[in-house]
Amino acid sequence: MEKQLKNDFEKIIKTTNFSKETIKIKENHLNQFIATGFPNRKLENWKFSDINQIIKKNIGDLGFYNDYSFANKIDPSIFIDGIEHNKIVFINGRIEKIDFTYEDINKIEILDQDQLENSIKYDNSLISLNSAFTNKYYKIVVKENYSLKKPLIIYQTSTKNLKYKNINLRLDFLLENNSCLKLIEISDDNSRKNFTNTFFNFELKKHTILKNYKIDKKINDNIKYSFNNIQQDTNSISETFILSSGSNFIKNEINCNLNGKYSSAFINGIFSLKNHSHHEIRTSVNHLIDNTKSYQLIKSVLDDNSKSVYQGKIFVNSKAQKTDGYQLSKAVLLNENSEFNAKPELEIYADDVKCSHGSSSGNLNKDSIFYLMSRGLDYEQSKELLINGFLLEVVEKITDSEIRNLIKNLIGVKE
Amino acid sequence: MLRINNLSARIDNKSILKNFSLQVNAGEVHAIMGPNGSGKSTLSNILSGKKGYDLSGEVLFENNNLFELETEERAHRGIFLAFQYPLEIPGVNTNIFLKTSLNAIRKARGEKELDAIEFLRLVKEKAKELKFEEEKLNRQLNVGFSGGEKKKNEILQMSILNPKLSILDETDSGLDIDALRIVADGVNSLRKKNNSFIIITHYQRLLDYIKPDFVHVLMNGKIIQSGGPELALELEKKGYENFN
Repeated sequence: MEKQLKNDFEKIIKTTNFSKETIKIKENHLNQFIATGFPNRKLENWKFSDINQIIKKNIGDLGFYNDYSFANKIDPSIFIDGIEHNKIVFINGRIEKIDFTYEDINKIEILDQDQLENSIKYDNSLISLNSAFTNKYYKIVVKENYSLKKPLIIYQTSTKNLKYKNINLRLDFLLENNSCLKLIEISDDNSRKNFTNTFFNFELKKHTILKNYKIDKKINDNIKYSFNNIQQDTNSISETFILSSGSNFIKNEINCNLNGKYSSAFINGIFSLKNHSHHEIRTSVNHLIDNTKSYQLIKSVLDDNSKSVYQGKIFVNSKAQKTDGYQLSKAVLLNENSEFNAKPELEIYADDVKCSHGSSSGNLNKDSIFYLMSRGLDYEQSKELLINGFLLEVVEKITDSEIRNLIKNLIGVKE
Repeated sequence: MLRINNLSARIDNKSILKNFSLQVNAGEVHAIMGPNGSGKSTLSNILSGKKGYDLSGEVLFENNNLFELETEERAHRGIFLAFQYPLEIPGVNTNIFLKTSLNAIRKARGEKELDAIEFLRLVKEKAKELKFEEEKLNRQLNVGFSGGEKKKNEILQMSILNPKLSILDETDSGLDIDALRIVADGVNSLRKKNNSFIIITHYQRLLDYIKPDFVHVLMNGKIIQSGGPELALELEKKGYENFN
């Protein structure tokens, strides 16, 4: 793999015009990745999802070079109907469109990566890989006191001809004081057997609101990793909703630092899995100052041989008095071969905090099924109604009503 | 309408019903009284199709072998069980559940399914009759309902589904006097020459409001005595222990 990585990296450097400085930084990241390789189960974070093995087994050898010299044609049929929205379109990892039609252009600034300092330091080899190979990334700045009128939908799409490739995406967002952004990420893959590695950074200044809805619905056999890093200043709110359903494998990782007082983070998620799919959500919510709040609710409905993993960590440092932290995960197993793994983790160094966690899993309640069937519903209808009711609680946490309805329709959950 | 011949039921090798026989004709109201553990709830569960029992004997409903019918098919043909402990179903809206249920039954009977407006009209009328707060119909099924509200909800379902044979499993337990009267009124208003009832209860109290045609005393899985309404009064006086 090392030879492939180096050759592909050389090819990219030759065909693009990165500045010398950028190339140097990228080289460092490349070397870091070469030194560590893909994460495997020996690492605590990856003990339930050995991505090294998963890539080997499902894809085999990966190529890291993608020809980004030509623009891809956007298929407008992928766009979500019934909701006016701004767009960013990725095709095979290349940004094809950034469109803020509905907004005041003076209130949104789009910065090229060359204008940005590149000092990412994570103990995460996939971020090194991302930083070495991302084609071009942007920072989107929402100016002070501006709330976007319409949501921004990020389409992550891929075309049929893409195969056995590693795709790296990155976007950075800065929400200046008193600003507000609603974001929907939708993956729409037509490709097979690729590894997509997505890295989004969010910096939330004072009194800001970020709502981020991540939708993985379309069935595909790609392997995916997504890392969202959220930094929150005073009185900011982040709401993350994850629908984890369509991909063969996906691990969503959310790191959220509550740096400012009265900041709060909400992370809710649904795993709805079938066949052999294997999905993970790993969260790390760090309460770093007093009077911050976090809430997490993750539910799984697992059929066939599917497997979901939830690793949820709440960290409270010694300064973070009056922390309010909560996490709960529940799973319904529809098949004896399905599997749910939960690792709740609380690490608390302050003494005046309220933190709780819980996790449960089981089959659909037989008595409930009997009750519904005794009213004339057949087994499938009863099962559907119970699952619908089980998932509805998570969907109801979505605070934006327009997006809540959109997602209800996407999942087929009814009120 | 219903003929039970020598029904025996075992669960986990424990014998619960022993050669139980009963005949219920159209339009009749039968009360089954008995102490805890006598097999009353088992009987109602078996009639509505709960699985997990070892059964022998025969149960005929309108001359069809009940054992060959799935739980939902029994509902389609007009059997209704008002549960002793109605289940809480989180995330399922009561109105939507009622509509799904009614339309499943109507469809199976070859009747036209009700649209939202027709359904709402019906449910409103029935809820009013039973003094069931309409607002509760927009809540999750039985979630956060008091014991009495859950029981009333069962009677509401019964009156909407309009079954041929209703089995009321200790519907009176946990009801205050006012609720008891409302529930009894609900049952009485459904009493027609084609609708039959099996009312399972510990106490004679409910039978003050719903006059049964027959009273049966169930002990250790068997009917030990049958009679008219006066039997319930006698039972109340003597207690189960001294009844033999």
